[in-house]
Amino acid sequence: MLDLLHHERDDDEYAEEAQALQEAETRRSVMRMSFALVVAAALLLAFNSQSLVTWVNGFEVGPVQDTIVSLAARWNGQMEEQGLDAPAKTVRGEVNEARNMDWAEVERWLENEQARSREGARLLRGMLSEDRS
Amino acid sequence: MLFPTIEFGIFFLIVFAVSWAMRGAPELRKFILLGASYFFYGWWDWRFLGLLFLSTLINYLAGLAVAHVRSEGLRKFIVGIAVVAGLSILGFFKYYGFFLTSFATLLETAGLERDLPFMQVILPVGISFFTFQGISYVVDVYRGHATAEKSLLNVMLYISFFPQLVAGPIVRAADFLPQLHRAPALTRAHIGVGVVLILSGLAKKMVIANYLATELVDPVFFDPTAVGALDLLIGVYGYAVQIYCDFSGYSDIAIGVAALLGYRFLENFDQPYRASSLQDFWRRWHISLSTWLRDYLYVPLGGNRYGEAKTYRNLFLTMFLGGIWHGAAWTFVFWGTFHGAMLAVERYARKKLDEFAPPHSDPGGVMTAFGNGAQHIVGIVWTFHLVCFAWIFFRADSFSTAGSYLAGFARWSEPSQYVTPFAVGLIVLAMFFQFTPRNLGRWLAQLIQWLPSPMLGLLLGGGIWFIWAVAPEGVAPFIYFQF
Repeated sequence: MLDLLHHERDDDEYAEEAQALQEAETRRSVMRMSFALVVAAALLLAFNSQSLVTWVNGFEVGPVQDTIVSLAARWNGQMEEQGLDAPAKTVRGEVNEARNMDWAEVERWLENEQARSREGARLLRGMLSEDRS
Repeated sequence: MLFPTIEFGIFFLIVFAVSWAMRGAPELRKFILLGASYFFYGWWDWRFLGLLFLSTLINYLAGLAVAHVRSEGLRKFIVGIAVVAGLSILGFFKYYGFFLTSFATLLETAGLERDLPFMQVILPVGISFFTFQGISYVVDVYRGHATAEKSLLNVMLYISFFPQLVAGPIVRAADFLPQLHRAPALTRAHIGVGVVLILSGLAKKMVIANYLATELVDPVFFDPTAVGALDLLIGVYGYAVQIYCDFSGYSDIAIGVAALLGYRFLENFDQPYRASSLQDFWRRWHISLSTWLRDYLYVPLGGNRYGEAKTYRNLFLTMFLGGIWHGAAWTFVFWGTFHGAMLAVERYARKKLDEFAPPHSDPGGVMTAFGNGAQHIVGIVWTFHLVCFAWIFFRADSFSTAGSYLAGFARWSEPSQYVTPFAVGLIVLAMFFQFTPRNLGRWLAQLIQWLPSPMLGLLLGGGIWFIWAVAPEGVAPFIYFQF
């Protein structure tokens, strides 16, 4: 009987310990995720400032809204001055190029790739035969 | 408020910060989440907040009554009242116009034209989803799968929790309510799963679904008579991929957002286009709806317990009603009916095949393995094409458009206008992920959960930035919002 009571007390202790561990993990995870969200938001504010301008331009007219629009435009202007909009423009340009590609261009691209790999193989064979000689 | 928008991003940052700051006071935290959910729903149309509350209240009271009443007959009666009330609200908002128009056409055909009480009824967003969740709660309490909630707050949060409120997944009371009784917890696993699902959902919706919609599917379905057979064929493949990426993308984001708030939803899609039979397809597609229909419709109808003929009838009826659930149009009725009929045919054919060549009668060997593999591949291709055939009716705005679409498959000599390498590439890419290991997402989540927080932030921010840069301009609504 005493042993059973002893075990029951142990179980309670384990439960408390497990709860404390879970609380500690939650606290750490919330801090971790909060920091990650701040980093993600900062990154988007810097590199995707154009979207912010597009979004605030949809606001109704009013003194507060006008101030937000003007702040967003100024922020976007500064980001553009720093060249932070360039990566998005490059990616968009590449995607547009892919979208406009037709089958003939794909065929040409495949032929070029095949020719390049043949050339690579030929050069490699040449080097190998030179080594042997 | 759509998921892939700046306003949702700001909304989520606030909800995340405030709800976790309040984790020491779980009741207050639930209150905050409920307020956020009603705000989220009111953003669409605040006039329907009362309807959402009314639907919840009916189910809450019915749940309490079912738990307290001893008489079995009365308990059944209460469940019946709650189900009929829920379905009546759904029926009025969703099917009033449809039934009246169909009735008017019928009278007109019979030469009995009458003035009918037509009125413009606006469909409240997400009504099909929250009605089904309400029914699930009352029936689960009746069956003893869930405990009747004394707290109205818990039932309100269960039905209106914003990640799943407008387009699912349909969460079961038995799965969700116990989570509300536990202390809120966020673990590394929640973070890993949340980040992977949010990024994959955004990529599916914003890149694959949106590009396929604008560059291939919409123009092809707009006027199927103006394009050739190749456009129509790739167009329907494109729609199969679009609707999958659109809907599973929404589900992924919803499950990911819920995970970051400390809640677990079950998966809603499991690589459905790798299914080798229709039965297998319905185990992988919109799992929360197909299991709902199974547990609350097919099984109560008798399931497969009362002989073959009744099994076929039950299969057929379940899918027929599943079709109507999707929308108030005859094309959806056909879509559901077709799936129901084909499931019945498939069951019958399998039974006959098993009689002819019983499974495991062969001792095995290379030839058997080869035969099984070939059968599996044929099954995948056949099932995918059956599903695509049904998608034509699901996507077409009328039977006449669907008919034109099918008739167009005779025009193979016409050159293609919309089958570009880009569109085909998107289809191939999406189909490739149907055949990757099914635990790929889990493995990625397990890797990501150990990243230090700056790296996690860079991954999340960089991922969203890249998806935004690649995706077409503008925000398209999710297909399943109309249901």
